[in-house]
Amino acid sequence: MASGTGAATRRSRRGRSSESARSGVRYPGWYWPSFTLPGVLWLVLFFLLPFYVVVSLAFGTVDPLFRLPLPVYQPWWWSFDTFATTLEKFYAGDRIYLDPLIRTLLYVGTASLICLVLGYAIAYYTARRAGKWKGPILVLLISPFWISYLMRIYAWQSLLQPDGYINDAIGVFGVASTVWIGEPITVILGLVYGYIPFMILPLFGFLDRIDQNLLEAGRDLGAGSLQTFRRVTLPLSKPGILAGLVIVSLPMFGDYYTNDLLGSTQTSIYGNLIDDAVGQAGQGPEAGSLVLILIVIVMIPMLYYLRATRRSTGMT
Amino acid sequence: MSHPRERRAHLSRRDFLRRGAGAAVALPSMSAILAACSKPGTTGSGGGGTGSTGERVLARPDNPVTLPMTREPIPTDTPIEGGTLRVYNWDAYFYKKVLREFEDEYGVTVEWTTFNNMEEGIQKLAAGQIEADVFFPTTDYIGRLVEADLVQPLNHELIPNLEANYWPVFSDPGPFYDLGWRYSVPYVIYTTGVSYRRDRVDDAAAAQAGYDLFFDPAFQDAVSYYDSYRDAIGMMLLRNGDTDVNSDDPAAITAAKDAILQMIDQNDARLTINGTYAKLPEGEFTVSQAWSGDIVGAKWYLPRGTAEDVLGYWYPPDKKGLVGNDTIVITNGPSPRLAHEFVNWMLDEHYGYINFTQYNGYQPPMTSIVPERLVDEGIVPESLSAAVLGEENFTLGYLQGELSAEADGLWLDAWSEIQAGG
Repeated sequence: MASGTGAATRRSRRGRSSESARSGVRYPGWYWPSFTLPGVLWLVLFFLLPFYVVVSLAFGTVDPLFRLPLPVYQPWWWSFDTFATTLEKFYAGDRIYLDPLIRTLLYVGTASLICLVLGYAIAYYTARRAGKWKGPILVLLISPFWISYLMRIYAWQSLLQPDGYINDAIGVFGVASTVWIGEPITVILGLVYGYIPFMILPLFGFLDRIDQNLLEAGRDLGAGSLQTFRRVTLPLSKPGILAGLVIVSLPMFGDYYTNDLLGSTQTSIYGNLIDDAVGQAGQGPEAGSLVLILIVIVMIPMLYYLRATRRSTGMT
Repeated sequence: MSHPRERRAHLSRRDFLRRGAGAAVALPSMSAILAACSKPGTTGSGGGGTGSTGERVLARPDNPVTLPMTREPIPTDTPIEGGTLRVYNWDAYFYKKVLREFEDEYGVTVEWTTFNNMEEGIQKLAAGQIEADVFFPTTDYIGRLVEADLVQPLNHELIPNLEANYWPVFSDPGPFYDLGWRYSVPYVIYTTGVSYRRDRVDDAAAAQAGYDLFFDPAFQDAVSYYDSYRDAIGMMLLRNGDTDVNSDDPAAITAAKDAILQMIDQNDARLTINGTYAKLPEGEFTVSQAWSGDIVGAKWYLPRGTAEDVLGYWYPPDKKGLVGNDTIVITNGPSPRLAHEFVNWMLDEHYGYINFTQYNGYQPPMTSIVPERLVDEGIVPESLSAAVLGEENFTLGYLQGELSAEADGLWLDAWSEIQAGG
């Protein structure tokens, strides 16, 4: 494989050289690599440096006067006490952070699955059945983005009040008024509502690009509609499913405002732990530690996604 | 190699604050990163730092503190600056008309920047992100602001309204956290009690239950409690019979925490900040923990046609409940003389009164403001007369002060457990 890759690379280089020779343009060795510079700068400035600050906060300390977080940038002075204490809150003593973690996994898992089921149906219809309505449907799908997510959740908060329109509506069918705010199902549906467009759009992209000839070939070989879907469409859309799941679940893990507005302390999720720690004097290192622990947790689905996409694109 | 905690003890206070808060609040600039990477103690202090990290005496009513003079107050004959006065205050804590009239009177512009909680306010001020002339801190931060040299001593000759209009109990010898009012003046005062809907709760029943009203199973899904750890745990300490509202006793704090968790579990109580002033009048909640100013201001949120006397407020009749006040200080901004004028303006009887009665809802401790006047003028309904404070509140009530780092850690650990859902 390695030699094959090397041969391919050599062929590619020869191809580029001959192309350059044909066009009469010769590029210096740094020319093409320099195109990566903006991306590298972006990563350094907007990911690595902020990430290093978070690490420095987690392993830093607090100002003894106002108890503001005091990052320590020199690794040889880092203290791991707060990180260890934070970690212990997941498995030792009263395990006060374990319940929110379990809740988060449950809520994010359920909400992602609902997003997938609903999103797949919508994306499939739009890509394969909508015909001339494809454009308008896509516009409608992204129309929620025209209004701030926060405002939309505020609107739901109002609709879900004990004397809100939702209770009025179900009251027509004789169902008793319910307190929706603070219930797990409300938080889960809030997450679905907020993130489902991020599932639909990548799925649509993949489903729309599936070659029609492959579907016809499946039918020519005797497969019914369901079997064609199961044996052709579904496997070909797997990268879209994985991408959609990653895109919706990662921000859900850090979400706190959905529960802030639609939930209660009894539905606290991981993002609320971070938000609460950030907002309290003296809790800065704990907030940083919670972020680092969350990063390790979300690395698991991320690594699976990378492994799956490498396999599906033939990379090793 | 020394441990960083030991090394940082050599940093000046200002250096500590600038580096720490600056990096924590915003994405770090390259200069902040480079400054922070330098060996602690070698960067410039920025001047003004006390350099002290020694143990500070925690002010308590039975252990009042006279704060050290970091410099002389500005001379009385200092000319009044023009231009812009920068005011840094809580959100929705000013009646804008009061500011506009100050602008008209002095021919200046008042630039009002807001913060949502004290931690945010202090972070931005200490980091130099906000340049302010006037700041509105809670009392537990006064000593620390002085130690960090972020505020300047007041010239009382320029603030005659303090002595003329404010309660004697407040003027001599001054509050326990700042004897002689060297750096601060009172802005508003409040008690923390129990508010309720009188169309659902009988006054007599509320008076009998007191703090236990939060635990009444009749109010399932209709109870709110402040999302503020000092007020939440402090009130539950009192409910448990512990009158040390600055307790560092782990058993007392745990008992208060357990009581809050029980209330949440039993009645599905919600932790909110707007439960009293917005959700109770709208009818979502029946019983809410309440700052007196919130329940007085709640009338503006009542649905049209709802009588104001639907709102009730219980506070211990012997006045032995939580009581507090917010303050005004003058920071190191460029307009200290104009800032003195502004402070005096806010302590003026007329402007203090309209700020309270027409927008804010929080009472200034003025001799002219008594319950009878407020009820007679229709500012406060009779049902909320317990929400109007008198001087005796500050001699009988329990005042919260700054906690030691260890005690604060205990309170915050308990609060984390409550916020995590128990």
